[in-house]
Amino acid sequence: MMEIRILWLYHDLMDLYGDKGNIMVLKTRAEKRGIHCFVDTCTINEEKDIASYDLLFLGGGADHEQNLIYEDLLARKEAIQEALAKKTAALLICGGYQLFGKYYLDQDGNRVEGLGIYDYYTESSDRDHRCIGNIAIEATIDGETFKAVGFENHGGQTKNVATPLGKVLKGHGNTYGDGTEGFVDDCVIATYMHGPLLPKNPRIADCILTRALNKKGQLQGNKLEPLDDSLEQQAQQIMLKRLGVA
Amino acid sequence: MNLELTIAQLSHKVLKKFGRGGSLPGQLALMMDKQFISHFKMPKIVILVTGTNGKTTTSNLIAESLRDAGLKVINNHRGDNLNVGIATLLATNSNANYEVQADAAVIEVDELTLYRQFANLHPTHLVVTNFFRDQLDRAGEMETIIRKIMEVTKDFEGNLILNGDDPNVLRLKANAPKAHTYLFSIGENEVSQKTTDEASEGKFCPVCGKPLVYDYYQYSHIGRFVCPNDGFGKEEYAVFVESIDYEKGMFTVEGKPYHSFINAIYAIYNCASVLAVLKSLQLDYAHGDHVFEHFELNEGRDEDFQLNKLCTINLIKNPTGANEVMKRIVKEEEECNLCILLNDFDQDGHDVSWIWDAHFERLKQPFIKTIVCSGHRAYDMALRLKYEGLEDCVKVIEDAKEACAYLDQANLRSYVLATYTALHSTRAILRKLVK
Repeated sequence: MMEIRILWLYHDLMDLYGDKGNIMVLKTRAEKRGIHCFVDTCTINEEKDIASYDLLFLGGGADHEQNLIYEDLLARKEAIQEALAKKTAALLICGGYQLFGKYYLDQDGNRVEGLGIYDYYTESSDRDHRCIGNIAIEATIDGETFKAVGFENHGGQTKNVATPLGKVLKGHGNTYGDGTEGFVDDCVIATYMHGPLLPKNPRIADCILTRALNKKGQLQGNKLEPLDDSLEQQAQQIMLKRLGVA
Repeated sequence: MNLELTIAQLSHKVLKKFGRGGSLPGQLALMMDKQFISHFKMPKIVILVTGTNGKTTTSNLIAESLRDAGLKVINNHRGDNLNVGIATLLATNSNANYEVQADAAVIEVDELTLYRQFANLHPTHLVVTNFFRDQLDRAGEMETIIRKIMEVTKDFEGNLILNGDDPNVLRLKANAPKAHTYLFSIGENEVSQKTTDEASEGKFCPVCGKPLVYDYYQYSHIGRFVCPNDGFGKEEYAVFVESIDYEKGMFTVEGKPYHSFINAIYAIYNCASVLAVLKSLQLDYAHGDHVFEHFELNEGRDEDFQLNKLCTINLIKNPTGANEVMKRIVKEEEECNLCILLNDFDQDGHDVSWIWDAHFERLKQPFIKTIVCSGHRAYDMALRLKYEGLEDCVKVIEDAKEACAYLDQANLRSYVLATYTALHSTRAILRKLVK
């Protein structure tokens, strides 16, 4: 039986805007296919062998929570780098996305160090340029291109993103009025899209599950078996239509 | 004589003649003068009520209790708690010299409006019910709201009536050293729990950032907590509910019984805050109890409609409120259908992600037959339920009228849960279906 082991980082602190829904979607979509899915959590001061998991998840948090976790996160830098070197998949939302970059400069000019695993960095916007609202993008993951929808709500402007997750069709994305959204490489999918992200974007969920299974070669070149996604597609279509990009 | 005020008052009279209410008078006046609200000479007692949940109910309970004590009271009883609603309330209850004609004004104020209007309203009292996650895209993070409120209360010399069981609210006390603080609290009772899966806020001491330790939770992050590091949470309470008898719908303060207007813990918190206000004004608690005994909730809050079978409608607008409504439905253990109407207009919040923070898994009950998902974001709601494994009972009927007709024809006890903008239109639909 195939198995996916998920490590949900700072589940008790970084859980803004219903991000936990992403875990529910990943688990349900794995189990519907007969794949055993084990979800473990890791909070401050907890010892976990990060590289032993197939998938890491880190959601968004308010500034206060983000300040609480960042030292603990930085202390795990080597473990996270080891995990990524071993092709562990990762999904990072909002604050989680920012923390994998070089730094975050907040509204008062305080610099919060990131893990520095990637070269992008984030600077706080002024009040008039907070990116809020429904967003639609055209995402490209592992050679597949498709539309995705979400809800963004961030003051942070993320710059110097080498490989964005997608092109913005409607909304803001990485910076106010920018044309790109998120970050992607062969392990990490990082985005500002809440909603939560995965319920209305089952293709992204399946890309992530595929990556997680491929870490230990469990799929053996096969594709995930398709599921009935009619409700998911309806929900996504309605939003795409409303945003005028269906 | 002042033009803005005259126009506001005249438009109110005209609207009234045509049987219409609304906030148009205040809107007109504010369009002409942004500082309109600051011109009023306020009554001797000005009680502002804010917080995430229970504002409308609490402010109506306070207003009625003060009326019971013989005071002339004005209040925005429908919950029009933004600038225009407040401007309308004041304009339509003052003379031509901006003098508000009342002994007391009880004003429900939106959390974001509060810090803008606090100084203008010259409050003698500020009542804070609770702070939960709510409509985040509109309100910004809860932390930001609390900080903004703290900025205006730090020099406040009036009475602060605070929920002592909510760490986010209790923060205001230490921050307002000049104020007279009256804390209300509820002791351990049959709904109290040692652990919780509901608390998303209140995990950390707002003073030192260390984890708070809870003796028990009442609901969400409301409960008995203390910070082992700096003692935050150790308090004396002005009003302490010693026990609750859910069978009789009664609670006890200082050994005396009081009525609860609904049999739910959050309602008793509302009552406790009213008693604290009465205490601060040196008025008898009996005025509160007279009101609690006969109080009718606002329209759309636990309101019954006699369709083929009974149908009850409730407002849901954030995880905590939705959780409490679901608890009450599940407690009945009666075969029933549900309809959840999810909209995402301005007043609902454009971001519907809060449904993923609410505990819809509680609806996984053999006696809940069908859950109709309706409204502008019906499919988002359906997905939320699907990922709880409720796929087989979900039915999407986007149109509210058709959804209500379905409930009626199913000939089963039913419940409607509606977000703000769906509430009143759905009530109108249900009214037409009443037998």
